[in-house]
Amino acid sequence: MMCRFVLWPRIVAKAGLLGLFFVFSLAVQAQDDGFKAVPILTGSTAYFTRVTAGQYQDAPSVSPLLLLPLGDKWLIEVKGSYSETFTKDPEDNYFENKASYGMPYGQIDYVANRYMTLVAGRFTTPFNIYGERLAPNWIRALQTNPLTSPVTSGSALGGMVRGGFPTTDNLNLTYALYFSSNNTHHLLATDRSTGGRIGFFLPRQRLEIGASFQQVLQADRPHSSGIFFEWQSDRAPVTVRSEYARSSGTKGSGYWIESVYRLSQITPLRRLELVGRGEQFFAASRLSAATIKKLGALGKDTNEADFGMNYYLRSDIRASASYGRQFVLGRNANLWTIGMTYRFLMPMLPQGGAR
Amino acid sequence: MKFRFVLMAFLVASAMSLGLVANASNGGSKDAPKDTAAAAAAPAGQSVDNQAAQKENMHLEGERRFRSNCARCHAAPPKFSPRMMATIVRHMRVRAAITDQDMHLILRYMTE
Repeated sequence: MMCRFVLWPRIVAKAGLLGLFFVFSLAVQAQDDGFKAVPILTGSTAYFTRVTAGQYQDAPSVSPLLLLPLGDKWLIEVKGSYSETFTKDPEDNYFENKASYGMPYGQIDYVANRYMTLVAGRFTTPFNIYGERLAPNWIRALQTNPLTSPVTSGSALGGMVRGGFPTTDNLNLTYALYFSSNNTHHLLATDRSTGGRIGFFLPRQRLEIGASFQQVLQADRPHSSGIFFEWQSDRAPVTVRSEYARSSGTKGSGYWIESVYRLSQITPLRRLELVGRGEQFFAASRLSAATIKKLGALGKDTNEADFGMNYYLRSDIRASASYGRQFVLGRNANLWTIGMTYRFLMPMLPQGGAR
Repeated sequence: MKFRFVLMAFLVASAMSLGLVANASNGGSKDAPKDTAAAAAAPAGQSVDNQAAQKENMHLEGERRFRSNCARCHAAPPKFSPRMMATIVRHMRVRAAITDQDMHLILRYMTE
């Protein structure tokens, strides 16, 4: 009885917050766009040849994304991925063909009001910005993943609250909070975890800075934190972005900084962009030999520098090439990549072009 | 003492939420599209020049929002049909945390 008496103010507070949340969602309605959204199929295909430390690979891939709007406020998003990797041996024979497929996300979104969107299903973990915004191969400036990408869980299965709204004339606040359950399916594995991200975006300066947090609620219960920024000059076609991530567990910490320069001021080269990225990864200390073997790339200190170029044949077709040098103790390597990406987009109904 | 504090916090939070809701319901939100208010305030006989200038301003503002939100990450896509753009913008609103006002301005810019 005593215990109940002590706890009930906390219950009232929680119930109050939940009530406010629903009142807020119901009272502030999302605006109608004036256009009836139509289902579309979009995504990208890519073909890349990679040479990693002398190992030659061809990798065609396709990543379709179905967008199914329901009414004015609902959106179902399902993204699939399929890729084949053909690996060549030194005698120039293909000896291995490995297929991989999965569902990066399959989620339903509800635009509750102009400040808040509710998401349920399998979604990309809102940790920093690379995974959510820059990862699609037709968007990413360099085809190699940053070394910090595997530090946190990439996908989550559960619910998320997110949104963005202006706080002043030149400051937008963006946020995302999520929880995820444990899923052991071999293709859709997720950790039981919770976390979020907060971002501050200055539209005039085109500058965004923010921070992320993730707490895993299983096994060793490690937590991860990260910060990010992205800036685009309004005087020159330059974009600079960076992320830092740190894990309290065995996955170490690292950062990357990337610069993209579009040569739009030189008419013959206006479709070309140059990219450079530098990154460092620091493995966790006092790892056992077995853990280092299990962690793979995350088990060793690594420095990497990449340079690349992207040429836009059209806005949706891009040719890319890059060279990188990876410095790992006792095993430095060259990383070559060359290939093309195509972003497709089509309506799923015949009247997709009509108002 | 603790109960009083919780109760006070709850009341303050309720008052603030209701204030915000009332503000939004009255169209007083600062992120409501500015052209709507401007159009309502305009006299019936507004000159064609003013309307053209207003349209041009909206176009420029939409382009500015597109550049600051979308072009930071990817190349400008071609303009699709309005119904397709409505879906794309809704998708990007969730993915890139684009504000409601920016979403409407970008949609207008991309469908002109």
